[in-house]
Amino acid sequence: MANQVQKVAYVDSKLGVSLPGQQTTRVIYDSVNAVAGQQFFQFFTNFAGKNEFQTNLTTNKLDSAESMVIKSVQIIMNSATSNIADHLNLNITVGNQVVLKDFDPSFNATSRGLSFDRLHSGFTSSTNLEVRLLTEIVIPPQVNFKAELQLSNALIAVDDDVTIIFKGYGRIFSAGNSF
Amino acid sequence: MGMSAQDKMLNVASRLGLTSLKDMQGTTRMVYDSNATASVNHTFFKGAAQRAFPLSNVGANGNQFQVNEALLVEKIGFFIPGAADGISYFGLTTGQASVKFDLVIGNKTVIKDATVELGGEQAFYNDGTIASSVIDLEGVGILIPPQVEYYVIAKSFLAADRIASSTRLGCYLFGTGALLNFNTTI
Repeated sequence: MANQVQKVAYVDSKLGVSLPGQQTTRVIYDSVNAVAGQQFFQFFTNFAGKNEFQTNLTTNKLDSAESMVIKSVQIIMNSATSNIADHLNLNITVGNQVVLKDFDPSFNATSRGLSFDRLHSGFTSSTNLEVRLLTEIVIPPQVNFKAELQLSNALIAVDDDVTIIFKGYGRIFSAGNSF
Repeated sequence: MGMSAQDKMLNVASRLGLTSLKDMQGTTRMVYDSNATASVNHTFFKGAAQRAFPLSNVGANGNQFQVNEALLVEKIGFFIPGAADGISYFGLTTGQASVKFDLVIGNKTVIKDATVELGGEQAFYNDGTIASSVIDLEGVGILIPPQVEYYVIAKSFLAADRIASSTRLGCYLFGTGALLNFNTTI
């Protein structure tokens, strides 16, 4: 089975990306400021007016010659009334293709004996969870992507925040030459 | 045994004549279904197309995956819905329940009379301080191929008394999956 380095290189080569780039660990995130009762959230689709801690991207694509594999997905909610321990529905789309479909990450929230991961710790938050994916998913360069999250409860209050974070192996631009 | 989940999916798919599954999008997949009415006997996924989110996440395809979509079941978990709306849920420790279940794929029972015992697997797996309500499948897992019906029959009981116990119950199947990817212009 291909490892993550081979997988990124394979997908990139299929797409005609020949520049090797600097191998790295990549973290990308986007945060949405909620309205009261909001249940549907789209991430990586709107970057206007967000500060550097709300998102570290300016567009819904990685730069030319930059790519990453998503190895884990973290969701953080800042809310006194709602939570992400109730059922969720998460979809991730890369290009025009759904790569994570109708996934419920809420089983990894709190400590209920229901988490997917064997190494689930004593971290028992109902507003902060992370799921490690079994199959690494590549975001190639210059291909748009988005995440859509549906909450089952309608308890979120105005100005609460929901953040999604993708973590994994990546490559960032390295020209390898003097400009 | 040295076989990865992806290898097993492709091996089984090949034997079933599903030659294009290898070209599909690999993913992590989970499906769940819940019975928000307290009962001893539960059937999950059969008829789940009638149960909207958050009671279930299988959608309109119900208890079968569409063409070229599959799930290699690696973990099976049971939970207890907190109310009839199915929004919140808890582990089995909340109801002091254990679950005896069968997993049926096609016309074949692939897991028979297995139990997820209250407090079971706690020697290996604590979720914080809470014992597991999840059973890891031995070996690599069991494949649910595309367009084949699957369901889980479960009975809830009290682990210590060994008697039937009526409770709300839900079930999830988690593992490596494949999503349809046309790989061509249509």
